Amino acid sequence: MSRQRSGARLPSEAPSETSSSTSPERAADDDTDFFMPLANDSQSSIGVANFRELHTQNNRPAALSPIGRLPPELLIAIFSKLVSPADMLNCMLVSRRWASNCVGILWHRPSCNNWNNLKSVAASVGNPDSLFLYADLIKRLNLSALTNDVSDGTVVPFAQCKRVERLTLTNCSELSDKGVSDLVEGNRHLQALDVSGLGHLTDHTLYTVSRNCPRLQGLNITSCAKITDDAIFVVSQSCRQIKRLKLNSVANITDRSILSFAENCPAILEIDLHDCKLITSPSITALLSTLRHLRELRLAHCTEIGDSAFLNLPEHLTFDSLRILDLTACERVKDDAVVRIIGAAPRLRNLVLAKCRFITDRSVQAICKLGKNLHYVHLGHCSNITDTAVMQLIKACNRIRYIDLACCNRLTDISVRQLASLPKLRRIGLVKCQAITDDSIRAFALPPRSSHQPISNLERVHLSYCTQLTMQSIQPLINNCPRLTHLSLTGVPDFLNTALTAFCREAPEEFTQQQRDVFCVFSGEGVIRLRDYLNQDISVIPDDREATMFDDGEEHDEDAGRMTGLMDATGINDEDYIDVETFQ
Amino acid sequence: MANITLTSSDGVDVTVERTVADRSVLIKNMLEDLGETGESIPIPNVNEAVLKKVIEWCDHHKNDPPSAGDDDDNRRKTTDIDEWDQKFMQVDQEMLFEVILAANYLDIKALLDVGCKTVANMIKGKSPEEIRKTFNIQNDFTPEEEDQIRRENEWAEDR
Repeated sequence: MSRQRSGARLPSEAPSETSSSTSPERAADDDTDFFMPLANDSQSSIGVANFRELHTQNNRPAALSPIGRLPPELLIAIFSKLVSPADMLNCMLVSRRWASNCVGILWHRPSCNNWNNLKSVAASVGNPDSLFLYADLIKRLNLSALTNDVSDGTVVPFAQCKRVERLTLTNCSELSDKGVSDLVEGNRHLQALDVSGLGHLTDHTLYTVSRNCPRLQGLNITSCAKITDDAIFVVSQSCRQIKRLKLNSVANITDRSILSFAENCPAILEIDLHDCKLITSPSITALLSTLRHLRELRLAHCTEIGDSAFLNLPEHLTFDSLRILDLTACERVKDDAVVRIIGAAPRLRNLVLAKCRFITDRSVQAICKLGKNLHYVHLGHCSNITDTAVMQLIKACNRIRYIDLACCNRLTDISVRQLASLPKLRRIGLVKCQAITDDSIRAFALPPRSSHQPISNLERVHLSYCTQLTMQSIQPLINNCPRLTHLSLTGVPDFLNTALTAFCREAPEEFTQQQRDVFCVFSGEGVIRLRDYLNQDISVIPDDREATMFDDGEEHDEDAGRMTGLMDATGINDEDYIDVETFQ
Repeated sequence: MANITLTSSDGVDVTVERTVADRSVLIKNMLEDLGETGESIPIPNVNEAVLKKVIEWCDHHKNDPPSAGDDDDNRRKTTDIDEWDQKFMQVDQEMLFEVILAANYLDIKALLDVGCKTVANMIKGKSPEEIRKTFNIQNDFTPEEEDQIRRENEWAEDR
């Protein structure tokens, strides 16, 4: 459909101006989308554009330089290796042929990261005499950088962009049903819609989506609190190709729509129901039993969910695709349920049981079965857990990169010493484990244990309210963990002196004076400056330390990082929140 | 290891190891479809010099693991090229674009990728005029059209 709209004139070129998903995609996706293009799903296409009628008078030069022999699809393949829009624009200015083949890549994802750019993009899209029909070239539109500067009026020119495949409006909180519906109406190509934080939206928007977007694969309506179960139910009936669903804090959602997703949308890979408090166990049983590809199940603060969610799963059914399970604060989930689900999901990589406060060592022993698959485990506030279980866990799951045991106050130096033996450990949370002492923290500062592991990988260490700690262990820790970028020591008396807190970052604005008095978090540069300060009498620090601290990236650990673009963000919030939350 | 023979467009027979030839999805599929008859395989679009150049690349990369999920890596490090490949691509433009065309025709994705990255690196940071000079391209725009492109794509200049 709608081929006639593209104002095609130059007849030559144009190998495949279709929307099939075979053409090269523009590189270096730095969007802040929550939709991480994992596999090959939701790929979008780049076509060859054509000058509009008035501009086709020139005949093409016959003389062919070597590059002139390349067919359009290879020129496009080359242009799609470019990252900077400025380079792409320069290519467009080379010749008419280059312009036709590059414009689709440049406009695939026009950069609207500031107001001036947005105005420029909107003006070209809205100009009826433009050289190209830009509106049809835009496949991804992301206005999230402009947040509440974006109004229903702002998006009017974009209403004619009917081939947008990803629309990201995160936190454009002034937008109403009108603006979003204008963008969505008539667009049959939409694959991903992120309207998280658009609190004005009502069911109207979702009805528009349901009517128009049969190909929708990703939907994020986090915090759209006015949306009701009725509209979400209709989405589950209409958008059956859904793969990623984030419904966080949409308080009205009930089992009715979740059961309908389970029944109608077999392609779902990720579902996040954070804080959907009306959801009960049968929904979870249905999601797990019917969605055979499910990779991520996030149920934080779904407090109605209980053991039966998992105990009622069909016998012998396994969940080999499941990689992430988040049951934060699902207090009614206890050992029996944990044992059951872990036994049936052997490839879980991220497991969050924080604040499942009734679980005991029995759950931890079940987790041991995950072995090397387990990379991320959060057991904060599971205060029944003892050293015995933690020892077993560390021995069984030695690929753990992230572990949080905040407020597991039965734990002692025995556990911590064992933790120090994890070769891949990058983040550790021991907030309020008040029994631990310098003795075990020093274990993290020991010289390298093996040639595989020449230096410590530790990046983030949370030791707030571990009140017995002193400089005796922290200084060696800082000196022997070159990748360290975060160290929290809030409420640790030995560090509450102004010589040291000078290197702290600022306390969050919402903190009371009392909280500020004990706040002690070193991050980024602060860690380096603290290290320099502590060592000032001793020696010179190598110059290249900054590089070693920041270039580590996800390279060593692509799986864990890539698996969920949300993990890092969650991790960070989570940590701050722990430091704050455990204050009282 | 079995050898096979390829015949270039200019009629020259070139013998290669099967594993090397298998880097080309086109040849690999052909061999799988036809079975190894011992007869030479005609490569009508690629001349001897280019064919040998392509085989040199395939030989060096014959033990590479098959690229998984093809585009994942490219997307991240867009124009990084490994050192050997960089050297390999230091050829005149005639050869460079012939190699790209051959990689495309023979369906050798990784080589095509290296070729495209090489050209992209030649483009990066250059003005339109410098690009035209580099690749010997004629400017067929009217001054008005050039202005219009600049105007309509102003946002792309933002850094």
